[in-house]
Amino acid sequence: MPAGAWSRLGKWRTFADGVALVLGINVWVSVVLLPGSFVGAWADPAALTAALVPLPVLMLGLWRRSEAVLLAGFPSALLLPVALVPEMASAHVYGLLRFSIVAVGLVAYLMSASFFTSFHEPPPPTNVRPLSSSRQPVPPRWRRRFRIYLELTILAVVCPLVLIYFANFHHTNQAFMRTMFPGRVASMTTMLDLLVIALWLILYSYVFLGVLKPHRTGDRDLAGQLSRLRADARRGRPRPAFYVAMAVALGLMAILLWSRYF
Amino acid sequence: MFFEILSLSLILGSIFFFYECIGYLAHRDYAAAIILMFIGLAVISVAKEMARLALVKKD
Repeated sequence: MPAGAWSRLGKWRTFADGVALVLGINVWVSVVLLPGSFVGAWADPAALTAALVPLPVLMLGLWRRSEAVLLAGFPSALLLPVALVPEMASAHVYGLLRFSIVAVGLVAYLMSASFFTSFHEPPPPTNVRPLSSSRQPVPPRWRRRFRIYLELTILAVVCPLVLIYFANFHHTNQAFMRTMFPGRVASMTTMLDLLVIALWLILYSYVFLGVLKPHRTGDRDLAGQLSRLRADARRGRPRPAFYVAMAVALGLMAILLWSRYF
Repeated sequence: MFFEILSLSLILGSIFFFYECIGYLAHRDYAAAIILMFIGLAVISVAKEMARLALVKKD
């Protein structure tokens, strides 16, 4: 590989690391430092120590260029001080405008870390001969695949934001929390946020990505599954899951009726 | 065609159970809401089996 290509690659990676570092520090300041100062959390040495933990995690992720550390480790470390001082995540600390700014910063960091750490391919060679297929239009299956990637990205941004907005800022929910948990609204709202994130991760993994898994990992599993389905269909009978679901539905309806009217 | 109609009807039926579940949640009758949620899930599982049979028969 020519020296110029190595130099360009080095400069590009340095730029990528710099952008991820700046955006990561921005997230740390807006999620940890400012809310903690606002609620006076830094008088507690344990909270102060927990607040400093995300910084070495971010540095480690940038040094190792590790997706796991940057996309899972650093955001999880940001929750450590919030777990010790739940008031940091309460609705009165985050107004709607500030919540929007922090959300944009967090999404920008996650996208940049995801985008920049995905450059594993070598730099372009000096001589390039275009393939004949490159002059053809993009096949429909690839256009379909790009559409799905875009939709998954939009879902990953919009759904958690909407859920967290309703948990923290919707007046009906907040009034309900104040009625049900007087004096503990901040901690219960923080727990609700964690539950919302966990629910979204489960939905995303099993519902949205789960459906696409056979396509992502190749068609062999899908073909095997289809042949099993055809064998089942030739028998002309539904699978045992059908009978189990039917029995569960009827049993639960009976329980509901019995508990209401007897 | 029979399996398609049956599957669609069951899916609509499961939506009815989920709708009722929300109603019970609004009245803070959590036990009934959970039972209705599981009924909805069970009915949608039955609908899924019907839809699968319809697809495979068409294939």
